[in-house]
Amino acid sequence: MRFLFLLFLFVTIGASAQQKFTVNGYVKDAANGEAMIGATVYIQELKVGTATNEYGFYSITVPSGKYVLVFNYLGYTVSTQEIMLDKNIRIDTELKSEATQLQEVQVTDERDRPAAQNPEMSTNKLDISIIKKIPAFLGEVDIIKSIQLLPGVSTVGEGASGFNVRGGNVGQNLILLDEAPVYNSSHMLGFFSVFNPDAVKDVKLYKGAIPARYGGRLASLLDVRMKEGNSKKVEVTGGIGTIFSRLAVEGPLIKNKASFIIAARRSYIDVLARPFVNILKDGGALNFYDLTLKTNYNYNSKNKFYLSGYFGRDNFLFSKNQGFSWGNATGTFRWNHLFNDRLFMNQTILFSKYDYHLQFGNDNRNRFVWNSAINNYIFKPDFSYFINSNSELNFGGEAIYYTFEPANASGITNGTPVDISLDKKYNLETSLYLSHSLRINPVLSVDYGVRFSNFALYGPGKQYTYHDTIPGLRKRVADTLLFTRGQVIQNYNNWQPRFSFKVQLNEATSFKGSYNRMVQYLHLISNTTASNPLDVWTPSTRNIKPELGDQFTVGYFHSLTKGSNEYEFSAETYLRFTQNQIDYIDGADLLINRFLEGDLLSGKGRAYGLELYAQKKTGRFNGWISYTLARTELQVAGINNGNWYPTRYNQTHNLKLVAFYEINKRWSFSSNFVFSSGTPTTFPTSRYVQQGILIPYEAGNARNNVNLPSYHRLDIAFTLQGKEYKHGVKRKNKDYWVFSVYNLYAHKNPFSIYFSQLDSHVLAGQPMVSQAKQLSIIGSFVPAISYNLKF
Amino acid sequence: MKFTKYNHLISKAVFTMAVGVVFFSCETVINPTLQNASPVLVVDAWINDKLEKQTVLLTQTQSYFDSSQPTGVSGAAVAIQDLTEGKQYSFVESSTKKGSYEWTPGASSFGKVGNTYKLIVTVNGEQFESTTRMGRVPQIDSITFSKDVRSVDGKERYQGEFWAVDPIGPGDTYWIRATKNDTLLNKPSEQNLAYDGGFSAGSDTDGVEFLPPIRRGITPNYSEKKSDPSPYWPGDSVYVEIHSISLAAFNYLNEVIVQTDRPGGFQELFSRPLANVSTNIKNVNPKGSTVVGFFNVGAVSGRGAKFIKK
Repeated sequence: MRFLFLLFLFVTIGASAQQKFTVNGYVKDAANGEAMIGATVYIQELKVGTATNEYGFYSITVPSGKYVLVFNYLGYTVSTQEIMLDKNIRIDTELKSEATQLQEVQVTDERDRPAAQNPEMSTNKLDISIIKKIPAFLGEVDIIKSIQLLPGVSTVGEGASGFNVRGGNVGQNLILLDEAPVYNSSHMLGFFSVFNPDAVKDVKLYKGAIPARYGGRLASLLDVRMKEGNSKKVEVTGGIGTIFSRLAVEGPLIKNKASFIIAARRSYIDVLARPFVNILKDGGALNFYDLTLKTNYNYNSKNKFYLSGYFGRDNFLFSKNQGFSWGNATGTFRWNHLFNDRLFMNQTILFSKYDYHLQFGNDNRNRFVWNSAINNYIFKPDFSYFINSNSELNFGGEAIYYTFEPANASGITNGTPVDISLDKKYNLETSLYLSHSLRINPVLSVDYGVRFSNFALYGPGKQYTYHDTIPGLRKRVADTLLFTRGQVIQNYNNWQPRFSFKVQLNEATSFKGSYNRMVQYLHLISNTTASNPLDVWTPSTRNIKPELGDQFTVGYFHSLTKGSNEYEFSAETYLRFTQNQIDYIDGADLLINRFLEGDLLSGKGRAYGLELYAQKKTGRFNGWISYTLARTELQVAGINNGNWYPTRYNQTHNLKLVAFYEINKRWSFSSNFVFSSGTPTTFPTSRYVQQGILIPYEAGNARNNVNLPSYHRLDIAFTLQGKEYKHGVKRKNKDYWVFSVYNLYAHKNPFSIYFSQLDSHVLAGQPMVSQAKQLSIIGSFVPAISYNLKF
Repeated sequence: MKFTKYNHLISKAVFTMAVGVVFFSCETVINPTLQNASPVLVVDAWINDKLEKQTVLLTQTQSYFDSSQPTGVSGAAVAIQDLTEGKQYSFVESSTKKGSYEWTPGASSFGKVGNTYKLIVTVNGEQFESTTRMGRVPQIDSITFSKDVRSVDGKERYQGEFWAVDPIGPGDTYWIRATKNDTLLNKPSEQNLAYDGGFSAGSDTDGVEFLPPIRRGITPNYSEKKSDPSPYWPGDSVYVEIHSISLAAFNYLNEVIVQTDRPGGFQELFSRPLANVSTNIKNVNPKGSTVVGFFNVGAVSGRGAKFIKK
């Protein structure tokens, strides 16, 4: 009710304003017709402007008059257009990439609206063209690895899937691929991410000040947008790397009306190995692949439709029916609709699924099959109402229906079937949000809003109550509660206020701050150093409370233009308090355990840090430096004697340098250097023997009391563009080679130090030998070559 | 279910996947400096009903890298009371092994299934106690050997398997111990536990034939190296024992496996934080000195077999 009232209020304010008109439209890339996200549209005379949304749409409402409209996007030629605004008009425009232009005069002071003027904070946007230039492990361009080079983002090490943002765990990031949540972002554990760079257009990471439109995770939002497909001509891109071979086809279905893209990747080592490896001959499989599809249809000037899908899988089968596999599948349907010149709607309906499957057994009398899945069905209308050039209202809702299948596990043991499946869980998460961006005057802008969410767990199902015990020990079941189909087992409501402001100190400098509350109803149950594909997501229940996070940020932003060079500098600090954080008893049993909740502990967290970022955005030599000083801690009764302890991914110092240099027309060079403090770990003090097993003992009962040695690594890559002319004739194809070396100086970065007895059988009465080993996942330099083609 | 049951498969898959591509990982033995800690009392009291000498071993913790024999604790009084029958078993310190307190059965073995036992250790004026119950144990029906079909490299390998049925009634917990050709399979990675024939209380497997991964858990760990012999080969013999253990001991041994089974390599990605395992031994004075270790009284069933190729 309050929501409707506010809406009404704003709509009336908008309508009753003085004689104003609207200019709106879409901004696209002239080369391929792709919508441009975040292009700026600026009215020179009034010094007001806006940025295009995720669909390339903008709308500006100003008093009638004659204006010059300036369109701008980094790396593209500025486009200006004179308009006579005496009625509402539509201006769709296309921007040309600078690379295709020759020596055009640049209007430097009207360039892309820099970060200092943008009201957003705590966000980083990575263009796919930048991501493709960063030196990559085994030459495989990787989105998740690239964002790890941004301030405030870290990882526990090579091979670990996911990433940590501002002290959050990997399960506290919401990863959206065309609005569809992706529950496991990795192929082959954490070595490669599931996004095909040929199909990705834009990647944006929100570390704080997350808009009210989004919710559901505490730490961050990674918004990955797929390409729509070239609407001008058919284009084929492909490549062969060390791991994947890739192919993408895109092109118009109906010129300027509809286009498509199909992109596929597959690891091919098994194809090469097939003649030599027996199990591959008898039905075994060792591969991973992904397939990305998208099509859009521009029905008319007011309606656009998009359909996109992703399907990816990792298969490790030892024989036809033994082994395991896992993967994500998503499907998104979207409808962009313009109700009028100022009211834009996007309606999303989507499906997303993550599942894994294991199967073992010799014969029909002895088999074991286990699978687990999380399914989401999402209905999400989003509205943007562009009231005037200083005021924009965003509102909408989201309904997510989840079904969790924690374990469908059945076996046959010596001919007798055994079913050890766990009950499915059914949940509905509904949210409503409203937020208002308001430029109060040229100095002060604010964005305030609220998101309300309800999370309900429905029957049928069982819930267990547990006896209290000494914290840190397994809780015993006290009672079983039975719920019938459709019965509400548990219900949670949460208001999530969001607020941010910007004070424009001068043209180039601003000061920003934000507060937001996030709620997380789904929990990634994982107590290992890195998350693994078998980790189960579990919803909030009667015993597992929703996780809450409150983050405060302030930042200073400055941009600088010297000649044709643009620089950007920012300093941000953040402070985050979290509640209902999950930890685990020692020896917790997390898989196929109906009494899982008896093994969980609950505590609180705090994370704080300073992020410094300097970027040179243009020129032959460009790149960035990022430095993060941070701490992230948990306090959980039953761990570390109830005292605060640093998390496994706590890194005090984290420095990253990324540099790109264009040597000449054909050769370019890129490099990155990473330094971070060692992550915490626990060392024992003592040992003792129990029934012939050597047990480590920490006399102080502490957790994460020692830091691993620090981590540093240098990577380089050279890119060689294929010749433009062959025998004096311009080539139709474009191709390039990438030569890269990961970990150039072969530093053995420690992933872990672990303590164990020698791996041999101990005879009774023999003394036992203990040792410590340091493991480097990548212990040498890793060269790679890839070849990429486009025609 | 313990992830450890399957992580060797995952690791194997990843390893295979990575052969020829990612062979970059490396491990080095290091000697980090550890904090000093004063020694605490260690009680190793796993008693069973086999007709042989039963031992309660009292030692002290030692510095982690001190690989000498632990120091025995002399001069203690050790006794186990049968609370059900009001009997007492006195354990006498060995004259040859310091800290080893022993009881030798006469005509009948130690204890009775279903009875409750209390361990009382008095040392240096402090008293430590623990209570447990002796659980039942099923017979082993047979032991078989079969070819391992998961072999990635095509090498001929054989695994052993015991066959037993968990008795009806929930809450039976076991420790399965196998001896291959006189070598006890006692590596951390070879520990084999069962809850009602399955993996844990939460997996509801009462009264079944022990599940296949547990049955095959009597197979020594082996690597995928071609040079390594098959874990079982015709001519090998195996002796399998099922020990009944208390629920506390089952939880304890699960913790022990997590803390001690550290094969390294890619499996370090899935390692869990180092933490102290629990104990069921208490100092009567809660403010008194610390104690670690465990007390269990178990019934044992056993069976042996020789691998003869058909």
